[in-house]
Amino acid sequence: MRELEKILLEDPYSMDKQNKDIFFKNYINKLTIHHYNNSKEYKKLINHLSYAIKKKNEINKIPFLPVRLFKELNLYSVKKDKIIKVLNSSGTSGNKTSKIYLDKINALNQVKVLQKIMNRMLGKERLPMLIIDRNIKNINRTNFNARVAAINGFSIFGRNHTFLLDENNNINYDELNKFLSRYGNSKFFIFGFTSFIFENLIEKLKMNKIKLDFKNAILLHGGGWKKLENKKISNKTFKKEISKKLNLKNVFNYYGLVEQTGSIFVECKCGYFIASNFSDVLIRDSNFNLLKNNQKGFLQLFSLLPTSYPGHNILTEDIGEIIQNAKCSCSMQGKRFLVHGRIEKAEIRGCSDAE
Amino acid sequence: MKKVEYLIGNKHFKFISSPIYNSLVCDFICDLSKVLLQHANYKKYPDIITLAFWCRKQNIDIMKRNFSANELRVGLGLVFHITPSNVPTNFAYSLLFGLLTGNSNIIKVPSKKFEQINIICDCIKKILKKKKYIQIKNKITIVRYNNFDEFTDKISSICDARLIWGGNKSIKEIRKFTLNPRSRDIAFSDRFSLCAINAQSILELDQSGLNRVVEKFYNDTYLVDQNACSSPHLIVWLGNKGSKAKNIFWQKLYKYTLKKYTLPKIASIDKYTKLCEDLINLPNIKSHKNYTNLLHVVTLKNLDFNINKLRGKWGYFYEYNSKNLDYIAKFIDQSCQTLTYIGISKDILKKFVVKNNLKGIDRIVPTGQGLSMSLNWDGYNINQALSRIIDLK
Repeated sequence: MRELEKILLEDPYSMDKQNKDIFFKNYINKLTIHHYNNSKEYKKLINHLSYAIKKKNEINKIPFLPVRLFKELNLYSVKKDKIIKVLNSSGTSGNKTSKIYLDKINALNQVKVLQKIMNRMLGKERLPMLIIDRNIKNINRTNFNARVAAINGFSIFGRNHTFLLDENNNINYDELNKFLSRYGNSKFFIFGFTSFIFENLIEKLKMNKIKLDFKNAILLHGGGWKKLENKKISNKTFKKEISKKLNLKNVFNYYGLVEQTGSIFVECKCGYFIASNFSDVLIRDSNFNLLKNNQKGFLQLFSLLPTSYPGHNILTEDIGEIIQNAKCSCSMQGKRFLVHGRIEKAEIRGCSDAE
Repeated sequence: MKKVEYLIGNKHFKFISSPIYNSLVCDFICDLSKVLLQHANYKKYPDIITLAFWCRKQNIDIMKRNFSANELRVGLGLVFHITPSNVPTNFAYSLLFGLLTGNSNIIKVPSKKFEQINIICDCIKKILKKKKYIQIKNKITIVRYNNFDEFTDKISSICDARLIWGGNKSIKEIRKFTLNPRSRDIAFSDRFSLCAINAQSILELDQSGLNRVVEKFYNDTYLVDQNACSSPHLIVWLGNKGSKAKNIFWQKLYKYTLKKYTLPKIASIDKYTKLCEDLINLPNIKSHKNYTNLLHVVTLKNLDFNINKLRGKWGYFYEYNSKNLDYIAKFIDQSCQTLTYIGISKDILKKFVVKNNLKGIDRIVPTGQGLSMSLNWDGYNINQALSRIIDLK
């Protein structure tokens, strides 16, 4: 797909709506045809859904795969011996995890696009990086695969990686002070899971024990708000607390799924997720009708990246909302949207269950 | 702290066996019907209305008549009921079964605090205040608890019968707690149900007739998210007028669900995921048709011996065209519980059963009565299952 190379040269938020719609229509149809021709399962599904493969279908008419399908089935669109890596989603104990099959090109494109998006935020140079977690060597990989994968994935944008927590999950003040005194006077990068950031930087960290504040830091965090919702902490309060306590103002939340690794959505300064040139979003109700802007429903995500597995057009279990006329002063092009968390587990009526 | 909440009664259980269908119990149940319909909130809950309807005098009289009175039967004593966690009114039927058959009862209700449970318990308590019912009062203990094996163990060890609702998993869990050697277990395991429709009969219906049929079908299915063991999953179309009749029927059903049914958000994803899995995995699919995500119909080329694996929920049906009913007989296995039907005569159904040595199917009822509770349930005659016969010569 040569067009991808071309847009990799541009700013990742350069396409206006009209151009993007045309570009996506073209590209997503092409990807659909590609997966149709290369995945038996995908082809069977598309045929049974009575969808006629064409080059110029509107993208909202193309069947989407529910994300959970990647947990139930092994889906890939390349010969099995081309697969070099399988990504797994977090999956809490007992649940099945997604299996995302990557070949070399797909894996490489993920890195390239992530880099593009990250460079926009961090600049082109690798920055000293503080990771709000334990050393990944000490994280049990079978249980926290996604955590390790995310830390690994983002680590390539940093240097002199320092982990905030020791093996017992306590803040390692020695290491932190070493890091701050070396790098704290110029731009540095902090990465971590949203709940870990809150727990450690806001709740636990004792400011009188550190030598410098965090005013030169750029903080990127993701992984969802579920734990913080229980504590009634919104994104706004989160930012306010971080700013008040750490004097840290550059705080960016990101949203991304393992099914579409690479083309992540990073929050702009005004607090909206923005679809880059590499991704697009739609919102649907539970009957799968399209919803208008400013209406809440399931997030459907498009990504240009998935070529070795049919994940270019997926329906998530997250509730989102596209914001029209967002009060957003950022110059970036792309749809603005909010994520309102994951839907709750089903309440099943019926008699085949007793406690 | 582990605790048992007594919604009705207390820890001093009584073991009273009285004759089956004794008139005090019948009066009590008729009173319950009236009191339920006087409750301020009953109208909000169609399942309460159904329960009140079930309890009315006329229905109790029919049941009493149907029971052969030549036998001398009395209750077993104390019956322990473990009811399903997600059907709010099921516990009430279970209790009424126990009372009618002359038993004392300990009922475990779902730990989820359904309003229906409060309404029913309020009504029962109100009636039990009458002096007349002092004996009934000793026969009803309603408890709520969760993860309290010691209690389940204790009651299991002293009860005379145990009624386990809730499917294979619950049965396996509960059976870890042993009963007295003399005691009985009555367990309702996971079942599969189907519906047979005479295609021609659909074509012969006028609009209002069609509306009625669709509403009845809806009540057997969508009303409980198609998740009761007697809700049909497989629809068998009989005759060669299938395709036209199908169109009319599903279209009408879709329009009805548009007005009536709200697909829970997570259900919508579950349903679609199951569909995608099926479309990829099932070998015998002829076609699939959807009416938004509200109604999915998967048409099968042929049946195989795994029909009980075809389980749709929330308005997801498998359909199959068959020239006649006899053809499907060989696919009916022990897991089949209810056959509902539209436009088929009782004669034909009787012949179907007699002729084919069916391995399964315990109920054959017209569409619309799929969920109606009766004392013949799941192949058990509850009258007999919860009582003992005294041989008097």
